[in-house]
Amino acid sequence: MDGNASMKGKVMRKYFYFIIATLFLASAAYAADSQIWGDMRVTNIFGYGQVESKNLGPLFTMLQSEYFPMIFFGILVGVPAAFAMHYLAIGPKVFPHGGKKIYIFSVFNRFVHQVAALSFIILVPTGFMIVFGDKLGGGSLIRLAKDLHGLATVPFAIVVIPMFLMWLKDAFFNFDDVKWMMIVGGYLSKEKRPIPAGKFNAGQKMWYWIATLGGMIMILSGAAMYFMDFDIAWLREITGLSQIDILRASAIIHNVVGFAVVALFITHVYMSVFAIKGAIHSIIDGHMEEEEVKILHSSYYKKLKDQGKV
Amino acid sequence: MSSNEMSKMKFYCDDNRCIECDGCSVACAEAHELPTGVNRRKVVTLNEGIEGKEFSTSIACMHCTDAPCEQVCPVDCFYVREDGIVLHDKNKCIGCGYCLYACPFGAPQFPRDGAFGTKGAMDKCTMCAGGPEETNSEKERHLYGQNRIAEGKVPVCAAMCSTKALLVGEAQEVAKIYRQRVSSYGKGVQSAPYGW
Ligand code: SF4
Ligand code: SF4
Repeated sequence: MDGNASMKGKVMRKYFYFIIATLFLASAAYAADSQIWGDMRVTNIFGYGQVESKNLGPLFTMLQSEYFPMIFFGILVGVPAAFAMHYLAIGPKVFPHGGKKIYIFSVFNRFVHQVAALSFIILVPTGFMIVFGDKLGGGSLIRLAKDLHGLATVPFAIVVIPMFLMWLKDAFFNFDDVKWMMIVGGYLSKEKRPIPAGKFNAGQKMWYWIATLGGMIMILSGAAMYFMDFDIAWLREITGLSQIDILRASAIIHNVVGFAVVALFITHVYMSVFAIKGAIHSIIDGHMEEEEVKILHSSYYKKLKDQGKV
Repeated sequence: MSSNEMSKMKFYCDDNRCIECDGCSVACAEAHELPTGVNRRKVVTLNEGIEGKEFSTSIACMHCTDAPCEQVCPVDCFYVREDGIVLHDKNKCIGCGYCLYACPFGAPQFPRDGAFGTKGAMDKCTMCAGGPEETNSEKERHLYGQNRIAEGKVPVCAAMCSTKALLVGEAQEVAKIYRQRVSSYGKGVQSAPYGW
């Protein structure tokens, strides 16, 4: 375990250097000649809606003008409405708090999670503010939202890879998840029957992949739009896209992946705060009610038992 | 509707005449006191070095009838004037860049304003028609440059174009001039592309 810790330290340091190097590269790329308004302008113009082009210009225009804000609105209203109905019709699962507890999340786990959580608490609402900027009047308020949206990305970008690694082995889908899906995680009834799930259930796994891999996609596509006039030749070469088309693709990807991120983020908050009363405490103090683990993560409980940990 | 459509203001650059002198873009930058790095108008040369195919043309915002920029702006800061000139409100703009992605001509420009290279409010050709501030006010001039249209003057780029390659005005007027030019090619002195 101790050897492991020093290994972790080394990995962390490498990771830190990696981030510094990335920032350095970004600024170097930034200082180069314009890829948009300079000599590349003609290349960029030819990319617009011509037969041999990817048609990303008209595609982005159509999606952004007709669909993106509407879909975000649907998610913002629809997802909470569905959960409100669930809460009223079926109600939350309540487990006695005060019984025996199992230590599940280490300090490192919780720290990484909390940094990501704080970032998301800023990223999601500011993202919505930008999407509905016209309804909010634009100007300095939305400019502030945009700046915060960029700023809050930094802490998330630092923890996203550690988060990806620390929970990876628990996040692969297995047969439990199929069974979990069949009964929709047992959320359609209030009964406390053991539910097939490992350390994470199928829903949490889905959120894990969207938050980490999806999160990285959000960071990269967002960074592309933020820096805009950067010069990364290999990116243009492997994608075969002009600079402006890279930006258009980024905007499309950022919005589409954004749908999944916000829908599952709202779900995650509902589940941990409302649907399973008090579940949020496990990520605050690291402990989970034994009863809760036994029912909601029955396969994990069995494993812990076999290992003699409970 | 069609009569309405006919009176839209348009730019047209006659590439038979453009000599790539860059006068239009320099005039624009000077008249509107644009910061360096912001090129509302730019002269580009296509098919460079390919004999018979090389030509230069001057591009800026084309004041599109179906303005894609206006369709995508998340804060809805664009407005299209009666005469078709596409303008925007810099106080509303958040500098997100969406208009640039939507624009077929790479017209929207972004000055690098703040620390960490944050993008400032978008800047683009106004067809010398200013912005939403009070006409010919100091504020309007500061944010959007001269409002020559309000003074009954031709946009500065076209006004100074030495070969009169760059045309601007009501669409049918521009079309008329161009038609005359095309139909007189190969006749008399006009056969030379620049006419002198
Ligand atoms: S900014 Fe671009 S899309 Fe908008 S009117 Fe001008 S040329 Fe058209
Ligand atoms: S940069 Fe400004 S004008 Fe362009 S789409 Fe964004 S908010 Fe609108």
